[in-house]
Amino acid sequence: MSSKGNHQKLHSWLEERSGLSEIFRFLREKKIPQHRHSLWYYTGSAILLFFAIQVITGFLLVFYYNPTLEGANASVARIMTEVPLGWIIRSVHSWSASFMIAFVFIHLLSIWITKAYRKPRELTWMSGVFLLFASLAFGFTGYLLPWDDLSLSATKVGTDIPRSIPLIGVWVTKLLRGGEDVTGDTLTRFFGFHVSILPIFLLAFLAVHVYLIQKQGMSIPVAAERKDEKMKELPFWPNFVYREMVVWLILTGILFSVAIFLPPSLDKAADLMAPAPEGIRPEWDFLFLFQMLKIFPAKILFVNGDTLAVLLIFLGVVAFFFLPLIDNKPAEKKGKIITVIAYLFIVYAVAMTIWSLL
Amino acid sequence: MKIKHSLFTRRQFLNGLLGGWFGALAASLLYPVLKFVFPPAREPDQVILPFSDFKDMELNTIKSFAWGSKPGLLKKNDDGSYTAFVAVCTHLDCNVTYLPEQRKFFCACHDGWYDENGTNIGGPPPRPLRQLYISIEGEELVITREGVE
Repeated sequence: MSSKGNHQKLHSWLEERSGLSEIFRFLREKKIPQHRHSLWYYTGSAILLFFAIQVITGFLLVFYYNPTLEGANASVARIMTEVPLGWIIRSVHSWSASFMIAFVFIHLLSIWITKAYRKPRELTWMSGVFLLFASLAFGFTGYLLPWDDLSLSATKVGTDIPRSIPLIGVWVTKLLRGGEDVTGDTLTRFFGFHVSILPIFLLAFLAVHVYLIQKQGMSIPVAAERKDEKMKELPFWPNFVYREMVVWLILTGILFSVAIFLPPSLDKAADLMAPAPEGIRPEWDFLFLFQMLKIFPAKILFVNGDTLAVLLIFLGVVAFFFLPLIDNKPAEKKGKIITVIAYLFIVYAVAMTIWSLL
Repeated sequence: MKIKHSLFTRRQFLNGLLGGWFGALAASLLYPVLKFVFPPAREPDQVILPFSDFKDMELNTIKSFAWGSKPGLLKKNDDGSYTAFVAVCTHLDCNVTYLPEQRKFFCACHDGWYDENGTNIGGPPPRPLRQLYISIEGEELVITREGVE
């Protein structure tokens, strides 16, 4: 029998059992609207690209990493110095994490500003907020794993912050640390979060997020929608996917260039009894919160300054989560004010970040 | 179906009963999980150290010891007495250090300052450093937590 005949047989065997052709038909018919703001459509798949790189390099790092008090720092040192090309794998993992977080921020700000979350896409936004927190949690837990001075102090601070939450705060801190203090147990626990709990959590919300996007199609910005004329469209397959692949290729090139020329450092192993080193700071994506905690006074009108700061951050997060419901009249004055808040947030975060670096 | 004078139907009653069972079952499964994830506290009631290690300290200097999984600092004061601190910042838990020239404790994480008695004097710390009780018993230095007999 000819190979073409075999191929046909295999195809119909699969089709009979899976009904996959339905999905392929959907992807062939999917259209991507073309307008001034189409560029932002590429940010989502850029995040997926970096996430895929994280998964692959993460699998590789696990082969050599040792999540214990005694072995963590030494095993990372071994990856950096002895394991063939280990330094590049770790560098790519570290940089790809930053790139992913950066694109998560760009992605969500573009959605905030173009108001892509408006009805009926509220749930897409909310699942996205969970993805944002999963990504930040990945970064936070991953930062501790090399177990050097900087990462220890950043983790002590980060896990102590929930303590200011009334009632449950103390328990949250204990849950994160695996006890009263940051110890070897914390390291093992963070490793568990990083490689098993967070991946499942993130993949579950990613599935919901992507499903909702497919169900509802791409959002069109308010301004473009009002013009009322027939919008230009691009077929998702193959036109849009090829363009995305060009973007992926460029981003991968940038990622590897940075990773090769600027590999992450590794300080000496953390000492639980040593004083915090000077100039400690968390990773860049937490710097604006770090600076806020630093400048908050100890007491504000009889209230503990930290409690107030944590409360403010918490309220901000709640408002952020429910943003599509708050911003329910996007074309009116209220909607415009909320767009201005997005720009103010960018200015605030950038200014605080720069301040913390001074 | 609803019997006369009854507050709810048979369906509501059975659903409530079943829901209650499921709730109780879930709670009974959650309890051991919660017990498991919180390990017992590790802070010691007391730490006993050989006094000979600390006898020859100079005035206005510190020496560290392990207070469970936290660092402790023993400070020799100007009058020759000793004070023991838990060397953890009361702001956000970073380990502090003592700067003898300035006679201050310092936390590098968020620029927190304490005077030589551990009182918070600058930056974000909301409370003084925790102090521990010291007693010298023969050749032993016994460091005890507050509130322990």
